[in-house]
Amino acid sequence: MLAAPSPVADPRHATLDGLSRLLASALPECQRAAGEAPLELSAAPSRPARLISATIVEGHALRARRVFDPPTVGFAAFLDGTQKSIVERYLPNGAPIVIGTVAAAIRDRRNERMHTWIHAVERRLYLSRARVSEDVWQRLAGLGLEVCDTDDGDADAAEEHPLALRESAYHRVQKDREEVEQRLGLEWCRRENRPLLIDGGISNAEQLAHAPCAIGVIKSHRTLYASGEALTTVLGLDRAERSSVFLVTSPKRASVASWYLRLRDPRGHDPMWGLVRVEIAVPDGSTADVTGRADEVSRWILFEAAPVALPDGRWDKMVYGVRDCEEFLRAVM
Amino acid sequence: MVDDLDAAVASPRASQVLGRVVATERKPNTPHEFHFWTALDSPVGIGTIVRVEGSEPVNGQLPEVYGIVVEGFSYTDLQTPLHAMLGHDGTPESASLGATRRAEIRLYTAAVLRHVPEEPLQPVPMGAVFLASDADVAVALRMDGYLKPGSNTGIPIGVYRAGGTDAAIYLDADFLIGPEAAHLNISGVSGLATKTSAIEWILSSIFTHFPAQKGSVAAVCFNVKGPDLCFLDQPGDIDDADRALYEKCGVPTTPFQNVQYFAPYKSDGFSLNTLRSNEALLDNVSSLTWGLREVLQYAEVLLNKDDVDAKADALIDFIRERVVDRDFNDPQLLGNKHYHVRSFADLETWFRDVLSAMEGKNNDGWRTHHVATIRKVRNRLSNISTRCAGLVTDDGAVSDLPFGSFQDRTVYVVDVASLEEDAQDLIFARVVTKLREHLEKRDLGVNHVVVFVDELNKYAPSDGQDTYVRKMLLDLAERGRYLGLVLFSAQQFRSQVHRRVVGNSGTALYGRMDADELATPGYAVLSPAVKTKLSTLEKGQLMVRHPHFTQPIFVRFPRPAIMRGRDGADRYPQAADVDLDAAVVRSLRTLDPSITLGWVQDAVGLREEEDIIRARNATVRERPADVRKFFLAQLRPVVAAQTVARPVSTPVRSAPADDPYGF
Repeated sequence: MLAAPSPVADPRHATLDGLSRLLASALPECQRAAGEAPLELSAAPSRPARLISATIVEGHALRARRVFDPPTVGFAAFLDGTQKSIVERYLPNGAPIVIGTVAAAIRDRRNERMHTWIHAVERRLYLSRARVSEDVWQRLAGLGLEVCDTDDGDADAAEEHPLALRESAYHRVQKDREEVEQRLGLEWCRRENRPLLIDGGISNAEQLAHAPCAIGVIKSHRTLYASGEALTTVLGLDRAERSSVFLVTSPKRASVASWYLRLRDPRGHDPMWGLVRVEIAVPDGSTADVTGRADEVSRWILFEAAPVALPDGRWDKMVYGVRDCEEFLRAVM
Repeated sequence: MVDDLDAAVASPRASQVLGRVVATERKPNTPHEFHFWTALDSPVGIGTIVRVEGSEPVNGQLPEVYGIVVEGFSYTDLQTPLHAMLGHDGTPESASLGATRRAEIRLYTAAVLRHVPEEPLQPVPMGAVFLASDADVAVALRMDGYLKPGSNTGIPIGVYRAGGTDAAIYLDADFLIGPEAAHLNISGVSGLATKTSAIEWILSSIFTHFPAQKGSVAAVCFNVKGPDLCFLDQPGDIDDADRALYEKCGVPTTPFQNVQYFAPYKSDGFSLNTLRSNEALLDNVSSLTWGLREVLQYAEVLLNKDDVDAKADALIDFIRERVVDRDFNDPQLLGNKHYHVRSFADLETWFRDVLSAMEGKNNDGWRTHHVATIRKVRNRLSNISTRCAGLVTDDGAVSDLPFGSFQDRTVYVVDVASLEEDAQDLIFARVVTKLREHLEKRDLGVNHVVVFVDELNKYAPSDGQDTYVRKMLLDLAERGRYLGLVLFSAQQFRSQVHRRVVGNSGTALYGRMDADELATPGYAVLSPAVKTKLSTLEKGQLMVRHPHFTQPIFVRFPRPAIMRGRDGADRYPQAADVDLDAAVVRSLRTLDPSITLGWVQDAVGLREEEDIIRARNATVRERPADVRKFFLAQLRPVVAAQTVARPVSTPVRSAPADDPYGF
């Protein structure tokens, strides 16, 4: 006979093994999904690769611009978030119960060393409420851990295929991760005015998108804001060259100014080697102001090219401060 | 010092967390070792004592573990140096321009000193790490067991310093002077004045703190080189930092109050063979001279196995038992002649007569001794007075250490620095043997004697032939503690000393060590970091091993409040060699300052040198109240010159006037 699981004072602080034992006691009829890889490793990209034309706000056409002045220190802190989604159990109907952990941290730089300015770690259970009985839902809710409906309350939209349900859970965890990142970013902007480098875009949050101190650096390029000759120009950027500034607009997101910047010499590598896209709040004023701001921020980012973020596989695009955040979050999650 | 433990216990415990214990599957904690990380600017270093507070109770008690840092690691998140090079495009100059330094860790390995509670003995738990306070140091080193008021047997050895903690470290007198364990050995490279200074400091500490209930203690120090121990009673210069260490250890900053020096004469027989021959310091310097009887007991020291086979040994025994200091005659060989052999000169006469008689009678043997053996023994024994001139007297005069009337807290220095190796060996052997004999009979005058021997690798080497001195030192190391005879020894290379001698030293001290020496197997138990620290120790720093300490501890000790040998030699230069009269004045003035050269010259007149030396030795030995009268009484009376009347000569008869042959 198995020993009864020892009660956990606060399940939010329990280890994954501890949570697993809690779930086993709450849902003895469920089958454990032993050995499944985190959903992050198996989830398909949510959006297809695409090209979007953008409105140029620096000049009339998108062209390569050399950042002439030498790189300089500008960023005071770095923000990054991470997530981990583990399918812990399957209900008899195949619906997965996912333990999702999201975390974010801002690490500020003091005397050349990185220190934690703020961080947050949140853990929840994710499952489709439409696919579980009220009894099961209540039993899970009684564990003391927040339970999230992956259907967002829309039972009609609920998928039935277990794999689709896993993807829904993954996207819901992703959404929570973005929220915690935004929350921390906004906290910084509320209390500081020193520049903050955010790993990823800033257009998701209205306030961040308008904050002068928030600078987003995007490493993935599934959406490219150029086509035709402009695309050739972007992919042909040399080291320390940037593209003209353009506007990124979306019905669901705030508009931000953006440009591409090449951090490292791309010769011998793929066209996107060392290529990042920068997002900042749309500068007020003339074109000269836009150029000046883009050059300034580019110099800041170029300065962060060292030390390299190796052994991370994305080291060509990743600045060390972001890797430091990731390492910190890996340690505290 | 009684309040030392109280004071230590009363000292506030460090409340600021210094580090956190970590363990991984590849680097797990064990009951004897653990790992912890600290902030980059933490004051932890090799040798720092730390306390770990566990968070999970064991048998209802939160465990505390004390450890000493024995290894340190530092690394960044860099996987390969190649990444650093890539990050700076291969240009080292740009490396200093980076805005961010890589994440870096200070990871330390500590060896466990003590678990509280001691049982069950478990691996060190994860927990917070604190700098050890005074009280923690006392507990960690188990000093709390012997610093209790009423049964305090602590002898301060120095001060442990780390991160603001200043804790006096005590040795247990029961384990330093006996009877539980005993002996102390110190190793270290030459030239740093660490070994001799440490011994002087420890002797001061022992004389100050030796527990009254354990009785009296004295020290016999052999000065084997230069003026090292020649000025133990003279004050030396110390600075404020030293004074603070003295104060912390409760030892007065004064030189030794009672010191007696002993040195043989030079080969001239009247000048003391020591660097402490300045007239201003002679009041506590005595001569060390032995006669035939004293030397013959230790003939084995001077005569090696090649010299003395079984036959020769038998003859020497015969001489020792039947000839020396006895009325000897052999009517068959020597006729009516009677011999009373007291000196080498008497012995030489005896040998000469015996051999002449044998030759005269054409005998090959006498009393089972072959003539060749007799000649050989005569040759070897006669040589002793030449080889040990100044120490061994032909006339049998003896001036010795005050065996039987040793004084408490007194240092007896025997200066053998300028002697030949044979004479040094003879002195070691005889003095130590006499000490042992008297301690066995409990009539030495003190209960414990510390014998300090420097350059131990010379006297008890790990290799080479077995000598009397080495056997004697082995015996002292293995059995001395029961008698209260304690060996404090020093050498440059511990690995070159007989392992049983150093192995029996309960306490071992290490100054700065040579890297080659540290590479020998005897140091294999030390971590590379500890070895590195040992090879770079400053003056005044020691690593201490003691039976109560489960790991070596680093301490600081003050400069001895004693005039250093070199300073003393400058301030009190060695007296120039003088003629016999002046030497006699110098000796007698220590007893009666009013004696002048003129008086001595008048007193000795034209007497033989031997007669004058004998009178001087007898006076110095007896220390009479009336020195002049005694000295004069020792001189052999001079027979007054008598005028002999010229015999009246018979006049030659004059020739007759008519002598035809007259001129």
